Amino acid sequence: MSRMHSSDFIRAERKPSPLKSPALRPLSIAATLALALLASACSQVNVHSNTVRGVGYVRVDEVIKHHPLYPQLQQLNDAIAAINLEASVPRAPLTPQEIATQTAALNQQLKAAQERANSIISQKQNQYLQQERDADIAALKAAGIDPRAAGIGAAMSATSQAQAAQAARVAQQDYMSYQQSVMQQDADAARSIAEQLNKEAAQKFRARASEYQQEESDLTLRLAQQDATERLALQTKLNNIAMDTAQRKAVTDQLGAINKKESDQVNAMRARHQRELAQYQAQLRAQAQDQINKQVAAIRAQTQAKLSAHGDQLRSQLQGLGSAPVPQANIPPNVQAKLKQIHEDMAKKFQTDAQAAVAAYESTKSDLDAQFAALHGENVGATGAAAKQLRDLQKRHDALQAQIQAQIQSEADKLAKKMGFTVVLDNATASGGAYDLTNDLIRDVESLHE
Amino acid sequence: MKKLVSSLLVLGAIFALIAPGAIAADLNDVGYVDQTAIGSLPPFVAANNQLAAYKAKLDSQFAAAMKAAKSDAQRQSVTMQFQQKFADKQRELVGPIFTRAQLALANVADKLHLSIVVDKRIVVYGGQDVTNDVVSLIRSNQAIAPPSASPPPSSIGFVDQSALDGSQKVKNANDQLQKYIDSQKPIYAQRIKDAKTDAERADIGQQFDKAVSDQRDKLLKPLIQETKNVTAQIAQRKHLLLVIDRGDVIFGGTDITQDVQNALK
Repeated sequence: MSRMHSSDFIRAERKPSPLKSPALRPLSIAATLALALLASACSQVNVHSNTVRGVGYVRVDEVIKHHPLYPQLQQLNDAIAAINLEASVPRAPLTPQEIATQTAALNQQLKAAQERANSIISQKQNQYLQQERDADIAALKAAGIDPRAAGIGAAMSATSQAQAAQAARVAQQDYMSYQQSVMQQDADAARSIAEQLNKEAAQKFRARASEYQQEESDLTLRLAQQDATERLALQTKLNNIAMDTAQRKAVTDQLGAINKKESDQVNAMRARHQRELAQYQAQLRAQAQDQINKQVAAIRAQTQAKLSAHGDQLRSQLQGLGSAPVPQANIPPNVQAKLKQIHEDMAKKFQTDAQAAVAAYESTKSDLDAQFAALHGENVGATGAAAKQLRDLQKRHDALQAQIQAQIQSEADKLAKKMGFTVVLDNATASGGAYDLTNDLIRDVESLHE
Repeated sequence: MKKLVSSLLVLGAIFALIAPGAIAADLNDVGYVDQTAIGSLPPFVAANNQLAAYKAKLDSQFAAAMKAAKSDAQRQSVTMQFQQKFADKQRELVGPIFTRAQLALANVADKLHLSIVVDKRIVVYGGQDVTNDVVSLIRSNQAIAPPSASPPPSSIGFVDQSALDGSQKVKNANDQLQKYIDSQKPIYAQRIKDAKTDAERADIGQQFDKAVSDQRDKLLKPLIQETKNVTAQIAQRKHLLLVIDRGDVIFGGTDITQDVQNALK
């Protein structure tokens, strides 16, 4: 059965009949009906047949390619692919100085992003508290209740408490995470400093020990040179075979005395050196420990200052979120419900804005983290300006794709309804009889924009 | 008048010709569900948040363990160990809620006599939307018992594409494609880096896409076509109207993965 497009079928029906004679009119009507039915049966699929049973499928990916806006979508795809490809080029290694400078710049950007998020959240808190206050006053006045007598802020109390509790929870989590990371940095830095200073002390000790060893060798040599003439003379005497035992013993004793004198002097020096080295080692250890203590104290002070500053920042954010006064007047249930509604609306709005601020911060942080990783040689794809461009392109791509898909969906819906299908699916793996509407839909989508 | 009668007779003959094809009952036992609506239910959100927090903790432990690992074998062992930990936690946190959702779905499908429930994303037209029924049942406090009968045989079949992709032939083709991409990427990337304008860069990006697409067609298209043909033949033999991917089936359907795998051997 050949397939005919539904819109082609409509066009065929609109053609003027060639059978215009009144005499032939009855026949012409019947023939037209027959032709139309024949055309319908032969050129349009019988969706209710045993093989089709009202089931169709569409290859939406294929239809998208024929949409008039597809070239634009393809352009966006190409631009995205180009940025991703460019980011995959290995970067030239940076010098430690360049890494340090760029790290400092990234840290500054991160700090700015944190401050921006905090400022927005703080501003939104104040804004919604004020709005709620105004709305509460208006609601109370409308109900003929003096807001002051009602203790305005009663409803706000709930908002304030909820916001304060939420903010405190987030702040506490944030603070703990910050504290953990700062403490870890603190411990790492202290360990690194201790290792470095102990290493320096060991080097100094080895240098001094080596110096003393050299002095001892020098003394040994000097003494040997000093006594060389006398020793040679005595040794020459000993070689005289005519010498009697007493004379030989006297010369041997003289030689022994020279050796002992030299050895005593060297040993004395060595003992002194050992004492001095022991003292020096103790002194080096004390100095190193002192320096370690000072450096660690400085690091801890910095850590405390960082934690304290962060804590202050959080406290300042939480200020003004404390409990509001308890209502003094009896508020009718309907007004209470109204106040509750106002509170819920404001809390919802605040929550949305706060989440948006946090999401914006997280996005910036994520990109900065990627840039930091890239600085240290990791392949993390596009970062910085390229990443921003990539996000913008992706956003435009997704919006355009959604627009194209919505239009295709609408056309598919009309077509499927017109052709009498009961169900039409996308993403089919294979058909055992279900009708493929792809080409029909392509023609519809194309003809829409002709 | 005679002419009119004869014309009507012709019409009758045409109806008679068409009639045998029109007696088949249309398929109306296909349902669909919006999985995002189920995924946004508070128990799922809470479980997923807990799982995300657990994963964040696990990630740092994993990074430390990988740093300490000395060989590829150790790294592989560490990876498997952490994957197992995550899977266990996922089962513990999401498992019970997931089971409840499946039971709810099975009950709704049973009540509405549906032979298959698919993901809303693949439905272009028609079908029965059972999302609200399923969500209501999950939300209710009542215990959900499994339906007494298994789903009726469905005229919609499915194949597990990931199982078919795991065949040696497909794996080899994918490996070859990946090698090709890896070899071409630095060449095109350098050309993009050297390009002067955005238009030039986009053009090179397009060339790269085309080169990869051509290579994919060369390596994978014949295999895809072969699988498609075999699947269609099995579908016809089993009187299935359509075959979809297992990933799009939420409940029911006729699984022909094994038949396709056997035929492809």
